[in-house]
Amino acid sequence: MKFLRRFDGLLFAAMLALVAVGTVTIYSAGHARAAAFFHGVWRSNLATAGFGLVLYFALAAFDYRKYLDFLSVPAYALSLVCLVAVLLVGEEVYGGKRWLWFFQPSEISKLGVITLLASLLGGRWFAWLDGFRGFLLTGALIGVPALLILAEPDLGTTLTLVPATVVILFVAGVWRKGLVTLLAVGGLAAVAVLGAVYEAEKPGVLPERRAQILRYVPLKPHQVKRVRVFLFPEEDLRGAGWNLRQAKLSIGSGGYAGKGIGKGELNHLKYLPPSISMNDFIFCVYAEETGFVGSVVLLTLFGLLLVSGCRVAAVATDERGRLLALGFSTLVFAHVYVNIAMSIGLVPITGLPLPFVSSGRTFLLTVMCGLGLIQSVSLHRE
Amino acid sequence: MKWDESILRVASCWALAAIFAVGLLRLGVKLREFQVEDAADYRGAASRQSARRVRVPGLRGRILDRRGETLAESRLAACLVCDPAQFQRRRYEQTCAAIGDAARALGQALGRETVPSSNTVARHIHQLRAMPLVVWRGLDERELAVFAEHEADFPGFAVEEEEVRAYPCGPLAAQLLGYVGRDSGAGAAADGEKFHFYLPELRGRAGLETYYDSYLRGVPGERELTVDANSYTIRARAVEEPQRGLDLRLALDVRLQRVAEAQLAGLAGACVALDPRTGDVLAFASAPGYDPNDFVPRLDPARYRRLADDPAKPLLNRASGGAYAPGSTFKPLTALAGLSVGYPPGATYPCDGVYARSGLRLRCASRWGHGELDLRHALMKSCNPYFCNLATEIGTNALLRTARAFGLGAKTGLDLGVDMAGVVPDADWKARQYHERWFFGDLVQMSIGQGMLLVSPLQMARVAGALGTGYLVTPRLRADAPTERQKLPFREADLRVVREGMRMVVAGDGVSRGTGWRGGLDVPVPVSGKTGTAEVGAGARRRKNTWFVAYAPSDAPRIAVAMVVENGESGGGTAAPKVAAVLKRFFADEAEGGASS
Repeated sequence: MKFLRRFDGLLFAAMLALVAVGTVTIYSAGHARAAAFFHGVWRSNLATAGFGLVLYFALAAFDYRKYLDFLSVPAYALSLVCLVAVLLVGEEVYGGKRWLWFFQPSEISKLGVITLLASLLGGRWFAWLDGFRGFLLTGALIGVPALLILAEPDLGTTLTLVPATVVILFVAGVWRKGLVTLLAVGGLAAVAVLGAVYEAEKPGVLPERRAQILRYVPLKPHQVKRVRVFLFPEEDLRGAGWNLRQAKLSIGSGGYAGKGIGKGELNHLKYLPPSISMNDFIFCVYAEETGFVGSVVLLTLFGLLLVSGCRVAAVATDERGRLLALGFSTLVFAHVYVNIAMSIGLVPITGLPLPFVSSGRTFLLTVMCGLGLIQSVSLHRE
Repeated sequence: MKWDESILRVASCWALAAIFAVGLLRLGVKLREFQVEDAADYRGAASRQSARRVRVPGLRGRILDRRGETLAESRLAACLVCDPAQFQRRRYEQTCAAIGDAARALGQALGRETVPSSNTVARHIHQLRAMPLVVWRGLDERELAVFAEHEADFPGFAVEEEEVRAYPCGPLAAQLLGYVGRDSGAGAAADGEKFHFYLPELRGRAGLETYYDSYLRGVPGERELTVDANSYTIRARAVEEPQRGLDLRLALDVRLQRVAEAQLAGLAGACVALDPRTGDVLAFASAPGYDPNDFVPRLDPARYRRLADDPAKPLLNRASGGAYAPGSTFKPLTALAGLSVGYPPGATYPCDGVYARSGLRLRCASRWGHGELDLRHALMKSCNPYFCNLATEIGTNALLRTARAFGLGAKTGLDLGVDMAGVVPDADWKARQYHERWFFGDLVQMSIGQGMLLVSPLQMARVAGALGTGYLVTPRLRADAPTERQKLPFREADLRVVREGMRMVVAGDGVSRGTGWRGGLDVPVPVSGKTGTAEVGAGARRRKNTWFVAYAPSDAPRIAVAMVVENGESGGGTAAPKVAAVLKRFFADEAEGGASS
């Protein structure tokens, strides 16, 4: 009974509520599409969530301290194999090789990377991994899957690994000085890239000059386009700027109370392109239909979930457990923040799903497994 | 060290929680800006991008005769339309193909073989996909029944109503009423206009339909379509209902018009009947004619070509647009011109059957001559030499002044696009037109209504009425147009002499008949008039246009008529009895109800 009292009810309840919100929103987004297939996506999403619950409880029930080391290495190795396989035999969708049969290996790799880091840095090898050496080794461990994902190409997913990794390394105490310096350098580099794209894309720049500047920018043309839309959101509204424009119109026109579930105009009239309305831009569908009230509810649910995750980390008696909880919480936060922020133009558009709400079975299972591990950390402490 | 480290680790967990909270709060603040502060702007922009405003024309008003009988009206005809949104495919070629296939299948069920060409469909989907595509027009009862039965099998098709113009009296007064046409298909409105789409309305293409187009035209309404991102219409709502146009009440009397047209049946010519007191146009016939219903639902180019190329010119409105030499019907004006400059009405002239002077020879209608005639008898017998002589006595100017005082050579002011001014030739005109000077012969020819003088039947009806009343009225087709009339600048005594002569044309002088005696046949009131036989062309193509102009009753005219029959025998023989028939009908109706005055 004492064991069950350590079950984090808030973490679980927030997750269930988010699954419910996601199912309803996927239902609404799916019904805006003509093909009958999409009308049933909510059902398969719910079934996946059911399967995710089984995994969740399995991971939560067993003591992570016993299985983590055995789980993390195979998970990491498997995700590497899958990431290589997807580059070789993956199906190309929307200009990227992300799908291996029915799942996205890059999602599973998030699980592999975080569990491996937690078990390495929180475990008995930590003393050996301290300092710059540890930084180099962990950097290599993260770098391999990150580069493989980058090759798909999927810059967004690669970048979501960054905050989780940084948080784990920082809290574990691996070469903090260097880490902070590196972050600062990374930030400066990002600002430099933004500035360069601004200089190249601002009105009145000659094509030759633009090409000259962009030669030194390490971004692909479609990424440059996204940064340009971020910098100049009012330009090219019928072309590259269309998605962001429609996303903003959807969210803004939702107003205070929303238009009602299933009554999102821009969603149903396909102004919000159906190809993205169920995935990366599903927040727009939700925000249009439920309004500011719905937005606050969703942010609150995520807030409860994340704070619960952090609380589990804070009270954890085991270093691996702490790192696990912080790593997965950060992963979820990064997705939530980037996804919503890109819909309202706070960050450039990146193809990141909104946890629980976007339809996407692999990611849903990944996140539920991660939360199951957090729950396990909460349950197994003394 | 160890202790510090563990504190730091716990603290960093809560610090991270705080960072998460701040991040989510940041999103919440931004979302508040979007969804609360600027919500109205976004909502406006969102509805603007999906709203399409359509201008919907109103039904056209009717054209009625003076008793309210319908001459032209708009009816609703069923047409079958296709809603492109129901056939929306990923690529627009596929959409077009889907529409084409569905239309062919439905066409088979309805027994319609032709479907809109793939070009038509493609153009519609390209430019007007928000609007329904009209597949077939003018569905009959059977087709409607078949469609109603199979409607469920053909989703995306619907019956809509479309305005068509109908002329219940068929060819009656065809050139007067005119016809309508529609600008081809629905159009996309130009930039900067209030509407995105523009449904064309029926527009007058000829006759009264053109002249009173803005009067008859309906008041357009507005429909708002909500279109999806691909510009297909998802739903529509009426913002403002269109309104029917005004009804045009004519002064025309359908019963009189029928008689006038019956008199011209199979002939070429025209007949105009006026109320000389008000200018009301009571009959306005032009033959040959056509049936304006043939131009419904749309003007068939081949049929139009046939009418336009017909040598009998059925499209020409001869009543106000036909240019004829007035012939002897001009003689009352010659007489009045003489009297106005003091030519004595009692003065006689010996007619020997030919007028010869200065190398000019003009024959009289009476081969052996009329003998001694005064002015009244000269009118009664329509004696050419008398009026030739009179004209030489008074000169050209008096003649021109009189002709112009009666509105010849000028537009009548009729409320119709076709209002020919005609020609009253003078020295300047001749010099401009033919680079020749004014000869003595021109004056003599003009005095008997020949030569270069050209008038329309409408002008001559007006002249006849003016002679009877002393006032020149502006003819009006629309019943409630204001009456305009001008007093003639002639002495009443002079007019009385001419009227006596015109009365004798019909009634005779007690000894012999006048040339227009048939003009009074069976008419219950005294009729005054003047015959005319104008020779046109020369040699083998020589023919005679025969005239009769009249007013009745002689002492206080209530009707004035001018009739011209091309290729007739003589004014008295051909035109006069036809005028009598019109007059007879007029006075019979008047006695019956008095409704026409």
